[in-house]
Amino acid sequence: MNEGQNSQRDRPYGDDWRAEIKEIISGASGGFLFGVPLLYTMEVWFIGSYVDPPILLTILVITFAIVLAINRIEGFRPRESETLPGAIAETFETLAIGLVCSTVMLVILQRIDLQTSLSEALGKIIFEGVPFSLGVAFSRSLISGDAEINLDENRSSTQSKSHHTKRSIVWKYTLADLSATAIGALFIAFSIAPTDEVAVLAASASPGWLLVVVATSLIISYGIVFASNITNYRERLQQPGIFQTPQGETVISYLFSLFIGMLMLWFFQKISINDPWFIWLRYSIILGLPASIGGAAGRLAV
Amino acid sequence: MPQNPLRRSLAEKVSFSVSLSIVGIIVALVCYTWLTGDTNPPILSVTTTEIRQVNRQYYVPFTVSNFGGETANSVEIVARLFIAPATIETGRQQIDFLSRQEERTGEFIFSRDPSQGELTIRIASYQEP
Repeated sequence: MNEGQNSQRDRPYGDDWRAEIKEIISGASGGFLFGVPLLYTMEVWFIGSYVDPPILLTILVITFAIVLAINRIEGFRPRESETLPGAIAETFETLAIGLVCSTVMLVILQRIDLQTSLSEALGKIIFEGVPFSLGVAFSRSLISGDAEINLDENRSSTQSKSHHTKRSIVWKYTLADLSATAIGALFIAFSIAPTDEVAVLAASASPGWLLVVVATSLIISYGIVFASNITNYRERLQQPGIFQTPQGETVISYLFSLFIGMLMLWFFQKISINDPWFIWLRYSIILGLPASIGGAAGRLAV
Repeated sequence: MPQNPLRRSLAEKVSFSVSLSIVGIIVALVCYTWLTGDTNPPILSVTTTEIRQVNRQYYVPFTVSNFGGETANSVEIVARLFIAPATIETGRQQIDFLSRQEERTGEFIFSRDPSQGELTIRIASYQEP
């Protein structure tokens, strides 16, 4: 990859613009892939219309932090994500691409026109811009599968590494698993979180049924990753990540999917700080089912 | 290998500057709406325009507006036509979502001519989102 980066640095001056445009188009493509389902979800426009400016600013800050974290290990550019200033610059670019794409689509779909008030337009742009921005950040994984973390290279040289390097590889595998879980969970559950169906399902689920939903989520995600023939089970067992056992990986990934689901529900104003803890738990478990399935499917790519 | 951010090409510098401006403008506009925004509850009003007659039915167009600072859900509009001595026709409409400064239009349909009687159109209720 370094050779590739150097060759990109050494290319002729005119090629810089071509490469830049190509990278932005690739990023925007990932944004569309991830963001378009939510453009056709009515609840997202509604939520964007009534949310207060302080919450919009908080959402922008949180999105910035999440995209920055993604850019440290992924990002739409094939380079410069390992330095903090580079990752910060890439985060601004990611957000800008996401916000511009969502604005264009909202105008094309006539959700924003000259009659729309400024605050309503901003709410819609920011709420729709977040999934677009996440799609831009994940674009290389979504479109080309060209992840930043080169696990195959690590896998072949694990035996010869020093203790310190081994520990960093363990973290890389763990980060790769968590990142893949996050991508998959976000991809599946992001367009479900804003809908009223989560509240309807949660209202009719008794505590016993919630346990059934938890068990089902665990069994399905275990089945997708370890019991199906889609992935190489033995190879996954040899990975030195923190998720060393299939059971451990399934449970930790499920908990991570629940956390991601909880964030999505808060983001779409389905749960608020004032709600009691059991509402948070109930809604998260209901959304945790599709989120954990998405997370399991995401880990297949690692 | 970490790349020196100072070695960014002109193309990258331009796209970074444009990106920073876009994000900056969005943040500035959100702050502007925060400082100058109207936080009053919904102020709803309904107006009617010229009645039209088609196939022995009378169409009464109406426009519902929200002049308040907050959004109203499930806005209910009720129309009642009274023609002496005892003819009463009613109509009911529900608008799912009416955000601040938004207008929505529709029509009530009656089988009797509203201009021959007393037509009342009013907003009956709304929900907070």
